[in-house]
Amino acid sequence: MSAQRHPRKRAAFEPLAPPVVRNPRMRRPAATVAGGVLVLLRAISGAVWGASVAFGLPPWLRSVSGFANGDNTIPTDQTIDDLGIGIEAFLGLMATICLVQVVFGILLLWGSNVARVIVMIVSTISIAAAFVSWWETGVEITVATSLVTLALDILVLLALSSRDAAAYARRNEKRG
Amino acid sequence: MTRRRRRWSVGHLLDGFFFVFAGLAAIWLAYLNLSQAFQVGWAGVLLAIAFWGLLAYLVLPRLHRILTTIYVPDYFMGRTRTSDGLLGDPVNLAVLGEREDIERAMAEAGWIAADPVGWGSSWRIITSTLRRRSYPTAPVSPLFLFGRMQDLAYQQEVAGSPAQRHHVRFWQCPDGWLLPGGRRVDWLAAGTFDRAVGLSLFTLQVTHRIDADTDIERDHIVESVARVPGVRVDVIRDFATGYHSRNGGGDSITTDGDLPILDVRGVRSPDAHISDAKISDATAPGHASRGTSVPGDPDAAVRGRAAQGAGDMGAPR
Repeated sequence: MSAQRHPRKRAAFEPLAPPVVRNPRMRRPAATVAGGVLVLLRAISGAVWGASVAFGLPPWLRSVSGFANGDNTIPTDQTIDDLGIGIEAFLGLMATICLVQVVFGILLLWGSNVARVIVMIVSTISIAAAFVSWWETGVEITVATSLVTLALDILVLLALSSRDAAAYARRNEKRG
Repeated sequence: MTRRRRRWSVGHLLDGFFFVFAGLAAIWLAYLNLSQAFQVGWAGVLLAIAFWGLLAYLVLPRLHRILTTIYVPDYFMGRTRTSDGLLGDPVNLAVLGEREDIERAMAEAGWIAADPVGWGSSWRIITSTLRRRSYPTAPVSPLFLFGRMQDLAYQQEVAGSPAQRHHVRFWQCPDGWLLPGGRRVDWLAAGTFDRAVGLSLFTLQVTHRIDADTDIERDHIVESVARVPGVRVDVIRDFATGYHSRNGGGDSITTDGDLPILDVRGVRSPDAHISDAKISDATAPGHASRGTSVPGDPDAAVRGRAAQGAGDMGAPR
């Protein structure tokens, strides 16, 4: 069969993750919103956790935000003095982390591909570390420990790695 | 060739890696979630619901996507695909004409364009289904053909609730694309009848269950559109082998394999269906109920046979 008679043979397979169609006017998909909002929620819960440690807010607030924030390894009865760092350094650190998360959350919502890839790499490392400690050393992952944190990491990764989110982040790439 | 280079770029390789890794991680999460559900007492019910949600809406779709990419070939085989890559509703209709012609013909035939899927429309179809309220422009879930979501979607609500409806999706064929067998058509369409809302067998998601006999719905669409002046109908008999199968939601489907071709190019100019045309056609045997034509059309006899063919389709086999 000559190529002339069959001008447009389609490939018999499709690429796994890459978006199907690039469309610069594409609407922001739910997956992108979910990814961005989850990262922003982590920023907020981090801020609440930091504030609750620094200013002695109720322990339930601290443990709830600790779950979402991923830093619930520190017992809720510890205060800022037990951590061994000054309150300024602690607040500065928390503010920096929070700011970075906010920036990434907003970049994700805007559809930045670089932010998407960086957040996915961080989530992947975090998930892989949790898996190794669970598999090798038998660390239990329960609701009381790090299940919520892990779930958030995996949900962020699922959302951002989806075809919709990839298509949105690459919507302005030039066609080949 | 740029296409090939792009496929193997680092970014796309990374995308593929994260896609699969996230799927595996989600399986692990579902396992952890389920094992917790048995340990935390009554809160376990919430965790069990979370487990179902996780499984149905995140884990299984991702797994289906990965696996179907591997083993479902992406060439045209007369079936649409769901967003997870599963084989979806059968392609059971073809159209000749431009988008405007289809829009005009469908509007005249009493079909209503579906709202695009979005936050608002999704919420509204859920609430109106639960409250059994009418939502005539309810959105239609995306199905894929040629790697693209449908270009047009139409529906007819039944019994004043979005739970039951006739619906049909249209895809524009790529330029120069020919049907297997070599015929050229401009659009392909897949019409099925949503008979109820239920739990999908394959994906465990809440979705519309479709009526198994997709030929009835196909013939309903053909019949309704063929009434519009200027529309002609031709049928490719046994385009596909008659088959029984399941769609992406796990519903049975059967078809005789015929592919009607609706020619809506005659709808284009409103002058084409002035009363003269109707009268002349109504006198031609076999035409009256099936379609009308443009006056002076040399193909009238051919079309008469085609229309007869369309009439046969509803007969039991």
